[in-house]
Amino acid sequence: MSMTRRMFVIGGAAIGGGLALGVIGVGTHLALHDRLAVQREGNNKDTLLNLWIRVNEDNTVTVLSPHTEMGQGAGTGLTQIVADELDLNWDQIKLELAPPTTEFSNGGIFEGFVGEMVGKAPPWAEHIARNAFNRLADLLNMQMTGGSGSIRFTGWQVMREAAAAARQMLINSAISKHGASTNTTTDAGFVVDGDNRWSYGELVEHAATLEVPENYTHRAESHRKFIGKAMPRHDLPEKVFNETQYGIDRYVEGMRYAAIAHSGVFGADVANIDNLDEINAMRGVFAVEKMGESVAVIADNPWRAEKAAKALKITAVTHENSNLSSASIEAFQRKSLQGELSDAHTIGDVTSIKSDANKTIEAEFWVPYLAHATMEPMNASAWMQGNKLHVAAGVQNPLYARVHAAKVAGMDVDDVVFHAHSMGGGFGRRVGFSMSDDNPIMWIDEVVTLVKKHKFPIKLTWSREADTRQDVYRPAVLASFSAQLDNNGKPNYWKSASYGSEGGAPASMPPYKVDNVKVQFANQPSPIPVGFWRSVENTQHAFFNESFIDMLAEKAQIDPIEYRLSLLSKDDDHAKCLREVVKLCNWQHGVSADGKAMGVAVQKSFGTMVATVAEVSLQNDKARVHRVWIVTDSGVVVNPDSARAQVEGGMLFGLTAALYGRCDIENGGVKQSNFHDYPIIKMTEAPIVQIKLLQSDNEPGGFGEVGVPTIAPAVANALALLGKRPTRLPINA
Amino acid sequence: MISITLNGREQSFDVEGDMPLLWLIREEAGLRGTKFGCGIAQCGACTVHIDGQAVRSCVYPAIAAQGKQVNTVETLGSKEMPHALQTAWLKHQVPQCGYCQSGMMMAAAALLKNTPNPSNDDIDAAMTNICRCGTYSRVKAAILDAAKEMSS
Repeated sequence: MSMTRRMFVIGGAAIGGGLALGVIGVGTHLALHDRLAVQREGNNKDTLLNLWIRVNEDNTVTVLSPHTEMGQGAGTGLTQIVADELDLNWDQIKLELAPPTTEFSNGGIFEGFVGEMVGKAPPWAEHIARNAFNRLADLLNMQMTGGSGSIRFTGWQVMREAAAAARQMLINSAISKHGASTNTTTDAGFVVDGDNRWSYGELVEHAATLEVPENYTHRAESHRKFIGKAMPRHDLPEKVFNETQYGIDRYVEGMRYAAIAHSGVFGADVANIDNLDEINAMRGVFAVEKMGESVAVIADNPWRAEKAAKALKITAVTHENSNLSSASIEAFQRKSLQGELSDAHTIGDVTSIKSDANKTIEAEFWVPYLAHATMEPMNASAWMQGNKLHVAAGVQNPLYARVHAAKVAGMDVDDVVFHAHSMGGGFGRRVGFSMSDDNPIMWIDEVVTLVKKHKFPIKLTWSREADTRQDVYRPAVLASFSAQLDNNGKPNYWKSASYGSEGGAPASMPPYKVDNVKVQFANQPSPIPVGFWRSVENTQHAFFNESFIDMLAEKAQIDPIEYRLSLLSKDDDHAKCLREVVKLCNWQHGVSADGKAMGVAVQKSFGTMVATVAEVSLQNDKARVHRVWIVTDSGVVVNPDSARAQVEGGMLFGLTAALYGRCDIENGGVKQSNFHDYPIIKMTEAPIVQIKLLQSDNEPGGFGEVGVPTIAPAVANALALLGKRPTRLPINA
Repeated sequence: MISITLNGREQSFDVEGDMPLLWLIREEAGLRGTKFGCGIAQCGACTVHIDGQAVRSCVYPAIAAQGKQVNTVETLGSKEMPHALQTAWLKHQVPQCGYCQSGMMMAAAALLKNTPNPSNDDIDAAMTNICRCGTYSRVKAAILDAAKEMSS
């Protein structure tokens, strides 16, 4: 999507010297707000995007990225964009994490992401809109990394503008200060007019006094030196040489350590601690604190704290969720699908088709709740220094986390210092919001509450078990599908109903030409906390839609790629990627002599089209994926090496979910606890992957999440040829 | 008191014998390159070398390391004197979030010490660490590259 906001580049002298530029958007929040019919109150500010680059007097340029690092490497891509637009050498560009202050908020970016996801606002988006966008003050408290948006929004639509304007200001400075001609241009960090050369550093003090030009041009593609190249990531040397400090590595003098035990029932407080004296007597234990749904133990070593937390004998209060199970949730969802539904997409009239049982295909699909399982479990540190509260953690939204910590502490935001660390994985787990009313960063609440009471510095680390059992999960979804084939084997109607709240999202709409389509949703509040899980609603809907279209092809006895292409116009992006992946994998429909079969799936998400083919066999009735071929189509690819890493990693993330991922609900809590019963794909099971990145002059698409959605249906479609059509995930349950 | 030779220096620690070595290393010795991931020896983020062998320190009782040589990722190499694996890791741009990578490199270093020219199967068998970002193909390529470099 393109941001339709009106944007202005602003700039001026930077504190400490140099020229600082940023971009502000004006009035554009109105579109989303009006669509959601959200009442705005007290809104009199209009700066939305404050994302800055700084041209320094030492002839370097600093990109102040609002995006925290969780493995995606977006910061490197941002510097590639700025280096090209500003015409720099690679050694002139520096990357810094912007501080968590409103000057560096990017609420407008997140708003763009939500606006993209919600064609028609689903309840959870309205919830976010109410809570996050109701007033601009809240929008200014966003500093979001997510929605595969760093490059395509922050980089391409914002920093690229600021960089292009900065280059023009430096040229204008040479003209007005040194009388340079109007033919003046730039050359790798210098403004050049014939034989005259001025370094950016020389000009920057004067340039900072000039007006920001309204007219500037973007560098031509032929001038690009970094965009489209596999530039090495800025953050990897420190990761390889152990210099990266994750949140869990934070240490301050006098620090003590907290661990928690949860009541075990979502929403239920801890009623009693039956063995408090025993716990207090354990070596190293300082305190035991009952905190709503959890009990925290503070000790002098994280293992002693965890050992004591695991020894706690606690009971939960009786709660409406106490008897909740996967079966009861599924039964409720099935009943809901038979009740009142809301229409998300309608084409033609599905009731106009005369029913013919012989030509009707029906299917019911189920996907389970999934935990994010970042490698670094949730943790946060906090301490008081003078009258300031310091909080340190790896989060996808540091400014929001800072404001949240201040609310929990009952302190002014100005008195809270937030230290944003690199994250050992994010995948949507470390954002501030959920799709339900649940707070996913309660570990910050917990540590802040403990430090407010005890005053000494505390690091709270969740065990893997706590992390698995207190997530905001990828929603479990039941869906029912039906279609009928005409005499040519083409669907004359397509009907689906899914449990969920993402109604307007494009993900649920089949891309295929069918005259009569109805896509519906049933929604009730989720009893289980649900949140943003890498690729969000695309993960379930790609599995449903791309499995179902394959079932129709199977019924029509037509090659599944040929079938899809017959339902797509020739110039459609889906068709383009499908044709490419056919060539890449040397597509064979059927079972090979050694018992392998190929399956295909295609899905557009986050601005990027992805077609995936998986080659699968059955070994002892379990799916084994041997090779995977992926074609993406995403406009300008800023860093192809990072893009490949994200696509392959996303595919493996999706493959773990397809083969193994399940969080079962028992007695109101999650049954699974650690990697032995919530397994992650390991090297020996990782398929050989071939990726082809199609590129064009179009705006860049995202990469962080787009590899995830298509692998589950591709594997399922291959298994169908081997006599096992999975309609419930995980496949190797 | 438990005495171990940690990164070449003999040290004594006043900890319980059943404290996992991981927590002695991270908190008592303050070496935080070794990571906590699961606590049940499933993920390998906590991999260290004990007498040259790769060990998952999150389930290894401190008392069992008494009198042994324990080496952590901090001894693998430095920017000035990189281990061949670290050079290969950068060449192949292996890490994403990076959190599992110190354990990955320690597992790989032990593998190359025992098996200087590993086959694909050798690597699969030795490298059972979990990477949630999915860097496996690059890990494998980097190990093969480092093996070539070290044997030349």
